[in-house]
Amino acid sequence: MTMSQVIPAFRQSHIARFAWLTLAGLALAAFIHIIVVLAVPGLAEKDAVSLFAEHGEQGKAERVNLAAVADSDPLTAVAACAYDLGAGPFRVSARTGDSLLSLSLHRRGGGVAYAITDRAAVRGLIEFVILTPRQLEDRLARDDEGESVRELRVVSPGETGLIVARALIRRPSDRAEAEALVAGVACGLAD
Amino acid sequence: MRAIDLAYVLFLGALLGLGSAYAALGGRFPFESIQAGAWSAWPKTGSQLIDPYARGILARGVHLPLGVGEGLALAATSDDEGRALDGSCRYALTGTVPPTRGWTLNVVAPGWPAQAGDRAGFADAEIVRDESGRMVLTLSAAVAGGNWLPLPAQGRFSLVLRLYDTPISSTARELVREMVPAIKRLGCAGT
Repeated sequence: MTMSQVIPAFRQSHIARFAWLTLAGLALAAFIHIIVVLAVPGLAEKDAVSLFAEHGEQGKAERVNLAAVADSDPLTAVAACAYDLGAGPFRVSARTGDSLLSLSLHRRGGGVAYAITDRAAVRGLIEFVILTPRQLEDRLARDDEGESVRELRVVSPGETGLIVARALIRRPSDRAEAEALVAGVACGLAD
Repeated sequence: MRAIDLAYVLFLGALLGLGSAYAALGGRFPFESIQAGAWSAWPKTGSQLIDPYARGILARGVHLPLGVGEGLALAATSDDEGRALDGSCRYALTGTVPPTRGWTLNVVAPGWPAQAGDRAGFADAEIVRDESGRMVLTLSAAVAGGNWLPLPAQGRFSLVLRLYDTPISSTARELVREMVPAIKRLGCAGT
């Protein structure tokens, strides 16, 4: 073999090898990308549920400082209540008022699992029980047969989460009423 | 030689995989937006059908998005002709708001409002309408009469229109241009 034959073959083999390695690197990158995106919610430590984990320990929803919340509406009053279903099902009850009131259940790691507004209130009261799928089974087994169940049951996607009460402040003079309304939401272990 | 190959593949995979995941979770929600005029909304971010990227974005910060059934947030970063919203311009918002029990409109910009407690938005009850029920809002840095919403003197801003307890939120496909406020640029400083 002469020198002129050896050099192109040498080059070709290196280019092919470089291309294969790059391809392998890209495949690994795609894999890592997917793993990271899916893992982020589970690893989140600065999400809303983590930040407000101490809210509501006194059995009442606590006002949320909206300056700490991204994309929040300054024309709402917001209070939150953290729950941990490890100790048992959790009951939330809210009296309706003059301001538009809504309650939502936020998952750990971001996202809303359930939301309800005061339109669904019965005699001025919104009430529901949050449970794990297992606690729901227990409760269903305890229900009397043939009798209609009056409580609204919501299955939480995880053991921990956050209940957020929001009231709309339609006029500046409504602010105090809206703040009292969300701070009046009761939350605690269900029987 | 083999060790160098392996190092190259791992380096490429880690760099591109982590870098692309970081970039994808750092910006705006990438998928499933609905458009109406200049406004966009991401209704699935308020439900359990949320995509993994939107969930990762929510998990990385303190977010309390509106749940489906609770409300819908519409965001605009440009006027009806597609020009970016800028504080040095004057804008008129006219037309209708989708059917809802209550709504708010907020100006969002870094460091805005300049002082806590300053007006950055309107709620529906504060809007003055003409005899035919039409609404006209003026947005400008300089003081204006009527329904005036102050803007930062310069720089980009965005508008967020939040509809509370709207029948739109669950079936957001029905949102069309005619139902949302039109954003018209009236003129800019220095032109």
